[in-house]
Amino acid sequence: MANGVYLGSQYAMIALGLTLIFALMNVLNFAHGQMYVIGGFVTYTFYGQWGVPFVLALFMSCITLAIVGALIERYLFAPVIKGSAREESTMLLAAGIAFLLDALILLIFGEKQRGVPKIVDGVFNWDFRLIMPYDRILICILAILSIVAFIALMQYSKTGRALRALAQDRTAAQLMGVNVDRYSMIGFALGAMLAGLVGGLLVTITGINLGMGGPTSIKAFMMVMIGGAGVISGAIWGGFILGFMEAFGLAYLSQYGDITYLLIFVSLMIFLAIRPQGLMGKPWG
Amino acid sequence: MLNFSKTQIMGVVAFLAIFFVGVPVLIAATGRWDFYFTLTSVALLAIASAGVWLTFYIGRINIGQGAFALVGAYVSAILVVKTGWSFWLSLPAAGLFAALVAVLIGLPILRLRGVYFAMITLVLTQVATLTALALPITNGAKGITSIPLPGAISIFSMPLVPDFSTLENARMAFYFTAIILMIITYAALYRLVNSRLGHLCRSMQQNEELASSIGVNITYIRILIFAISSFFGGIGGAMFGSISQSVYPATFVVKDSVDFMLNCFLGGLGYVFGPMLGTLALYFGWDLLFEFGKYQMLIYATLLIIIIRFLPNGLLSIRLGKGGVK
Amino acid sequence: MSALLQVKNVTKRYGGLTANNDISFDVAENEILSVIGPNGAGKSTLFKMITSFTPTSSGEVIYRGERISNLKPHIVARKGVVRTFQETTIFKSMTVRESVVVAQHLRAKASLAGYFWGSKTARDDVTTFEKYADELLEFLGMSPISGEQASNLPQGSLRALGIAIGLATDPKVLLLDEPFAGMNHDETMNMVNLVRSVRNERGVTVMLVEHDMPAVMKISDRIVVLNFGEKIAEGTPSEIQNNEKVIEAYLGSVDDEIGM
Repeated sequence: MANGVYLGSQYAMIALGLTLIFALMNVLNFAHGQMYVIGGFVTYTFYGQWGVPFVLALFMSCITLAIVGALIERYLFAPVIKGSAREESTMLLAAGIAFLLDALILLIFGEKQRGVPKIVDGVFNWDFRLIMPYDRILICILAILSIVAFIALMQYSKTGRALRALAQDRTAAQLMGVNVDRYSMIGFALGAMLAGLVGGLLVTITGINLGMGGPTSIKAFMMVMIGGAGVISGAIWGGFILGFMEAFGLAYLSQYGDITYLLIFVSLMIFLAIRPQGLMGKPWG
Repeated sequence: MLNFSKTQIMGVVAFLAIFFVGVPVLIAATGRWDFYFTLTSVALLAIASAGVWLTFYIGRINIGQGAFALVGAYVSAILVVKTGWSFWLSLPAAGLFAALVAVLIGLPILRLRGVYFAMITLVLTQVATLTALALPITNGAKGITSIPLPGAISIFSMPLVPDFSTLENARMAFYFTAIILMIITYAALYRLVNSRLGHLCRSMQQNEELASSIGVNITYIRILIFAISSFFGGIGGAMFGSISQSVYPATFVVKDSVDFMLNCFLGGLGYVFGPMLGTLALYFGWDLLFEFGKYQMLIYATLLIIIIRFLPNGLLSIRLGKGGVK
Repeated sequence: MSALLQVKNVTKRYGGLTANNDISFDVAENEILSVIGPNGAGKSTLFKMITSFTPTSSGEVIYRGERISNLKPHIVARKGVVRTFQETTIFKSMTVRESVVVAQHLRAKASLAGYFWGSKTARDDVTTFEKYADELLEFLGMSPISGEQASNLPQGSLRALGIAIGLATDPKVLLLDEPFAGMNHDETMNMVNLVRSVRNERGVTVMLVEHDMPAVMKISDRIVVLNFGEKIAEGTPSEIQNNEKVIEAYLGSVDDEIGM
């Protein structure tokens, strides 16, 4: 149960970033998992290697990813979206970027599994009914706080309102005077930043390695589909649902190997057959 | 419908000459016997890519072909190793089984469109790998190894195909088999696209609502096409397993599914032979860049991005110009 | 006057919203019947239900004694009840002629496999389709543009293309969705004549949903008026013009919709 909350909060953040990018640009960001890995490595380098305080290292992860995201949007996605009428091209581009980032990660950070020293020691033990290391609890709280902060940003700030307008209707937003190009870039940067933040948080617990990018993207896709693509509440629901399913599956079905994911997938397919738009999504087509 | 123009016939003849005479002569002259293996792989991957291209033809982005290739590879391997079937029988069986799986999975997921369908097919590949790891019959992570080479086929004791294990050069035999399969696949694809089914697919690709208003059973056609597509995937995968004589859960992974899709894009979605060219370009590009060692991936990805940035309609669009896109 | 198609107590609810409430009327063979009403009156939803593009919440649609509501659209089309769409719904990258050839798919005699192998029947089919496509385009006055790609056509021709695609399926009942929308007076009059000749020369029963009142008055044998999802009147054009309820409904909404 506690593990579900913990996993769910991480997943929800990843899904949020992906769904934000999807809602704004109708782009399926294959490179999302890679962005998450980069976030992990940046925190690792600053905190684990150079001894910079953890919070600052986390901040650096966010900044790095925001810049990477902004550059990718400005110089790659924006021109390709303008130049091509079919949405397939952007997917191809996203796949290319995923390869590129993988290559860069390999060159810069190497292929070894990296971890950092625990940020807090000790284990929370409540009567042996709930046992959880303190660092997990801390990370979980940080993740939930970030989600709350993100929602607050989307709800109440000017940027958030502009982004929401953009997600709903590009043309209308433009007519209302929203600088579409600028906010697309900001939105993409924000989505990438969220991925970086989760990477930075998770490196303290599970460590990080090159191979984590692809599977993370796939999990993020599943969450987004559960909740409904492009919907913020949907991403959070999707994240927590997948987190819980995984936590329970691993706790009770681990003796059967990887059957958990198979079951999750089968249930996802049945679910989508009944409700193709996901939990929170609007029907389309 | 069967009367081809002169240039078409010339093209086909030239194509056949290159693959059946040109390549073997060239390889014998240069002594690069490893090229047989490379070209065989290209041919097999091109078969699987043809399937992906076909799903594009009904307006679906399919990133799940790796799953069906894996299914095909396992079905053939299991039939050959555990039940002693001839490889040549297991090959169509692998294709048919992949098609059957496609029908079952396709019923719910083909209702999804665009990015949603793309996402779920991508997830499907990951699940295929995980299933192969979990099931007892697939032997988990150890995979199925030492698959015997294809045996002989003879009709009325007339040998048609020799036993591959008795051949001095099994690579060449595989090469010819793969090329023949590829040619059959693309000939079939060409006929399909230019027949009524192809026209119906195009009508669905452009507007499913209008297609159903003129009486097209869109559910049926979607399933049919997805099954044919997966059949190609299964055949390609089965043959691949036979050549490497082993199948592992990681034989086809998400990266392969994405590659199949890239092959189609790169070759151009408007051209039947696009995926063949795309596969060739992508595979050779990757091999050529091997010289760059650890920068291989970086250069490859950069080139890929540049191509997408400046040639959004694929490689074949250079030759045919913008008007040629269907 | 025997009923070819009957709409019986059809109701459609979306969540708490009722788009159509208990609507009934008959369509006679070979007539031109218009469904009119202010925006949001539920006209398009009604069309969707007749052609099974959306299921009814209750009630049914009967065609030649058979229920055709709550089926699949392609099955309804196969029975001969075919709809057209507003102009954006076309096969964008096909030419006019190709579109009309594809739309004859229901008349194919050979199987899909037969087409794949190029059987004699299949080749005959193709010849028949192409010949009929040319005839049909000639009839609709579209021969000059038969080689044009659909996405390059102007609005008026797109509307005609929509009707050509619908007619190519050889329908018994053709439902036209706002065939005159966005047309000027001359274009509208051409379309009115076209729709009439479709009925007179091809024996096709026509139903249409329309805003353009003068055109509707001119073209229709009978008119059904909807307002807020309810049927408020039914009758000949002159009866409708003098119907108190109808005048009230239209005066109560946007005035430019009257246009008379």
